[in-house]
Amino acid sequence: MASITLKDINKTYPNGVSAVRAVSLDIKDGEFMILLGPSGCGKSTTLRMIAGLESITSGDLMIGPNRVNDVDPAQRDIAIVFQNYALYPHMTVVDNLSFGLKLRGVEASEIAKRVKRTAEMLGIQPLFDRKPSQLSGGQRQRVALGRALVREPQAFLLDEPLSNLDATLRAAMRTELIKLHRNLGTTIVHVTHDQVEAMTMGERICIMKDGEIVQVGHPMDVYRNPVNTFVAGFLASPPMNLLGGRLEAVGDESVKVHSGSIAFTIPAAMAKGFISHAGKPVTLGLRPEDFYLTAESARHTAPVGVEVITTEVLGPEVILVASTGGENAAEIQVRMPRDFRASPGEKVMLHFDLSQIQIFDITTTRALPRVA
Amino acid sequence: MNQHQTIESADRKFGWFMSAPTLALLLAVILFPVFWALFTSVHDYTLIAPNFDTFTGAQNYVSALQDAEFRHSLWITAFFVFVVVLIEFVIGFGVALMLNSVERFKPIYYGILLCPLLMNPVIVGLIWRMFLHPSLGIVNYLLSVASIAPVNWLGSTKVAMWTIVMVDIWHQVSFMIVLLLAGLSALPKEPYEAARVDGAGTFKAFRHITLPLMWPVIIVTLLIRLIFAVKTYDLVYIMTRGGPGTATDLASYFIYRKAFVSLHVGEASAMAAILLALVLLLTSYLYRYMRNLT
Repeated sequence: MASITLKDINKTYPNGVSAVRAVSLDIKDGEFMILLGPSGCGKSTTLRMIAGLESITSGDLMIGPNRVNDVDPAQRDIAIVFQNYALYPHMTVVDNLSFGLKLRGVEASEIAKRVKRTAEMLGIQPLFDRKPSQLSGGQRQRVALGRALVREPQAFLLDEPLSNLDATLRAAMRTELIKLHRNLGTTIVHVTHDQVEAMTMGERICIMKDGEIVQVGHPMDVYRNPVNTFVAGFLASPPMNLLGGRLEAVGDESVKVHSGSIAFTIPAAMAKGFISHAGKPVTLGLRPEDFYLTAESARHTAPVGVEVITTEVLGPEVILVASTGGENAAEIQVRMPRDFRASPGEKVMLHFDLSQIQIFDITTTRALPRVA
Repeated sequence: MNQHQTIESADRKFGWFMSAPTLALLLAVILFPVFWALFTSVHDYTLIAPNFDTFTGAQNYVSALQDAEFRHSLWITAFFVFVVVLIEFVIGFGVALMLNSVERFKPIYYGILLCPLLMNPVIVGLIWRMFLHPSLGIVNYLLSVASIAPVNWLGSTKVAMWTIVMVDIWHQVSFMIVLLLAGLSALPKEPYEAARVDGAGTFKAFRHITLPLMWPVIIVTLLIRLIFAVKTYDLVYIMTRGGPGTATDLASYFIYRKAFVSLHVGEASAMAAILLALVLLLTSYLYRYMRNLT
């Protein structure tokens, strides 16, 4: 097992396209790190640079104490699971599993032992004599995972390994990967564009955009305190409601925020970080789950009158799509309890938990510090 | 009969109807001549007495197989085919592997490679006969510049066969390159990346991934080249006429002479049938071998 350290890593292709810029990241020994971002954000390129499949233009890549920029992929002692599995099509499952060990000159008896152990762990023993073309997507995925596991490497690199599976299988494999990590304790770097995977699997999430790291942190930290509107809008589904608004000073210490018909007065205790932006336009961030149907005394809630556009009944909850009304009316999505019903056009009074409000600078898109 | 079956049988009828003209044409130009030749091969049919009056049964086959010259021509054909296909494959695969990793100017390389292939074999034969002329040819001139004694390329029994082999390779190797290159560029890229991480270098990746994945393409390519090589006739006709002596008397050329110089069409047909049987045997073996691979 080993830590992986990226210091100021850049990747520029010969045609001048810059795929990864100044990426610095410390992945601790035994950590489950998620690289999350939309397609084209450089997360896969970063993973491929760690694997050694892509050259590094500048910066230092360390695996454990060693700088491995120019080390051959085979010598880095890492294993990678590809999005499309990349199994050897002409080899049977058992040959796919043992190929890497054979190349490394591991003894036959040791190979057999390790292959058997891995296959038992993944339940793929009955498939030993089949070729990849005779396997289902889920089975191929397991074999690809097995091929990585059997090597017992210092770290696993997973490049969107679940994205080709159907929803049920994906959820099941998600749980299995978490268990696997708990049992093995090996460092895992998992690339995904699926924020559910990121939230549920990662010990830390590294969110990337346009080849740069935007935010790194524990999933709940990133979720609760997004550094900018990109992270706020990317994580969770439905994402944070981002509304154009304006801050106004009320007295010396508290502020009032306006957006459409919304007018929240933020008490002095919470407004410290916002007061500097008084009088300026801002972006308001309201999580869909921070709205309530009744004012709750335990929380600093503020009333919001909205007009129902539609409701989506999902079963465990209802998503209310509503308009904030007034000038600059905006559409917001709100999570409601499962028995909530309303018809289009109906006026509903909601109560927003002010302690969860996010305010972003409109030009830099960065979050203003929140004091809760 | 339910409706589904009715539609299916109507479809089948329509299919036959649509393909009938082509099938008829194929029958007329391919199957008919084959059967005509087979029919001729069991009769004493010569161009002096062109009739099917005398049924001879297997007589033509027996005398063909007893004919030492025919057996010799079969042997040297086997030698020619083996050497030509082997060398062309080795060169072709090597060049295809190199071209497969080339990024720039690929169309230009393709263009140069395809030039010989676009030429008629007769033209190729004529050009090389001039190049290789013992006293006037450019090849011997170049050798003399390098103080190497002139070679009797087409007149020596020891050299003539190798000369034909060399010219055939010059002419046909691009065919191998093009087919193998098409196969190589269709290979999936991902297993190579997996293999790199698994610890396979260039040679091991070639040995354990490229070769096994390419087998079906290689077999088909060898098969096509093999059949074409067995048919080689024009080069020999233009360059050596089977000579000197019988040094380059390939089966196709020998059979041609038997039919149109000696006028023994019946016996020539029997020889052609024997050649056809040998080629079919080899083809079906390779085909089955390939089917087992995939």
